[in-house]
Amino acid sequence: MDIVISGLLLGGAYALVAMGLNLQYGVARIMNLANGEVLVLGGLAAFWAFVSFGLSPLLTLFLIAPLAFAGSWAIYALFLRPLVKRAKSRGQLEVDTILATFGMSFFFVGLMVSLQAEYFTYSFLAWPISLLGSTVAANRLVAALVAAAIAAALYLWLNRSRSGLAVRAVAVSPGSARLVGIDVGKVSALAFSLGGMVTALGGCLISTFVTLDASAGVLFTMKALIIVIMGGVGDIRGAIIAALILGLVETAVATIVDPGLTLVAAYAIFLAVLLFRPQGLFGRRSA
Amino acid sequence: MLEARDIAVSYGLHEALNGVSLTVDRGEIVVMLGANGAGKSTLLKALTGICEGSVSGDCFLCGQTVTGLKPDLIVEAGLALVPEGRGIFPDLSVAENLTLGAYPARARAVEKETLARVLELFPKLQDRRSQIAGTMSGGEQQMVAIGRAMMSNPDILLLDEPSLGLSPILCGELFRALHKIKETGMGVLLVEQNARQSLAIADRGYILENGRITGAGKADALANDPAVQRAYLGGAQA
Repeated sequence: MDIVISGLLLGGAYALVAMGLNLQYGVARIMNLANGEVLVLGGLAAFWAFVSFGLSPLLTLFLIAPLAFAGSWAIYALFLRPLVKRAKSRGQLEVDTILATFGMSFFFVGLMVSLQAEYFTYSFLAWPISLLGSTVAANRLVAALVAAAIAAALYLWLNRSRSGLAVRAVAVSPGSARLVGIDVGKVSALAFSLGGMVTALGGCLISTFVTLDASAGVLFTMKALIIVIMGGVGDIRGAIIAALILGLVETAVATIVDPGLTLVAAYAIFLAVLLFRPQGLFGRRSA
Repeated sequence: MLEARDIAVSYGLHEALNGVSLTVDRGEIVVMLGANGAGKSTLLKALTGICEGSVSGDCFLCGQTVTGLKPDLIVEAGLALVPEGRGIFPDLSVAENLTLGAYPARARAVEKETLARVLELFPKLQDRRSQIAGTMSGGEQQMVAIGRAMMSNPDILLLDEPSLGLSPILCGELFRALHKIKETGMGVLLVEQNARQSLAIADRGYILENGRITGAGKADALANDPAVQRAYLGGAQA
């Protein structure tokens, strides 16, 4: 029971980050390898606001959201749009953006090392609470609840609103989206920026219960990648389920076997998905 | 109305269209006949701003120039395309496909009325509203594609070989539907190889051969033209 609860709480935060990458990759077609660094930047912002001004990470969220959105929009407009314009095929765009964002991840790591070379250690809601008979840290529960709320809002927006529908239309078929009067370039920029925003918010939440440092991003990029591939590219529902599975498996392996083996377990799932369900848990086989 | 003047398209050194001019009025059906490779699809792509070749010439919609506009702005100006292969959103439901059709600002105010008209024209879509569009039959997907294009409340509707791959019965239904669309005041430009049925519902027609317009006239005159009969009507009627 302990494992299930801790696993689901961890998965909740992962789900949010994976939704971010899903928007960037599934809609804007940008495979963003700097995704984890954006997450850590969100964590750094939370740490900095907490240590310098005693600001609760839950309030810092509201500062991070507009900044991360604007920052991601700027990155898209300045560095990625030229690649999108130049790309003759989706494959070429993937290769180009993987290289470009891989380079960008080093830039972010360097930036963060120069700002804060030490671990981002702070203590927020670090008292134990009892939940369905097992004991968890309050910060984990709060982070998972807030992540669930943000994810739910995003899910509703995508599925209930006209602008969300336009985002899904671009994810399904950019070629057809322009025929119904959707500005595909603008929607892609919007999806990329929202993705960056959601990822940074996830980082802010994760930093309340995981001690991050400037170079921790790559781990989260890998986890987000595993979740997105497992859940199916562009499939938000799949990403949520996959994130919860990853959270459960990591927690189970860390508790029952050895904490050092969580990454091994994550990659084992990843391999299994690639071998047996490459289209993702819910993805349809493309015709 | 739609007026294209001197449209030329080339893909590198290959010239796909040269000096093509045409007009389509509201409330009329114009058919563009031509064999495979004559440049029919290229023409529709050039008009709607999605042609990858280099395009020259002018295109006016109700007197306003739409030459060189981005495709989403051309839809906003009132030109909607039902592309070859239908171009629906296969992973989205029928209702979502239709809602997306009404994405342009020009369509929003009259969205309910247009939807009612589309569902009256294609009653089957009403029963299949929540079905995922990609799981429907070819004929039903064609209805979704045409319905979606109508939802943008266009002045002129362009269709790229809508009868391709449909059974003769479905073809008949499709052309009757186009006739009803015309009666609502929309102009229809239809690109077809199916000359007999398309000329039967059309008001006027053009003949496109090797990227040039080689004939034009009233639909009945074209249908009775011996050259057209030999080339497009199998000569059997002559």
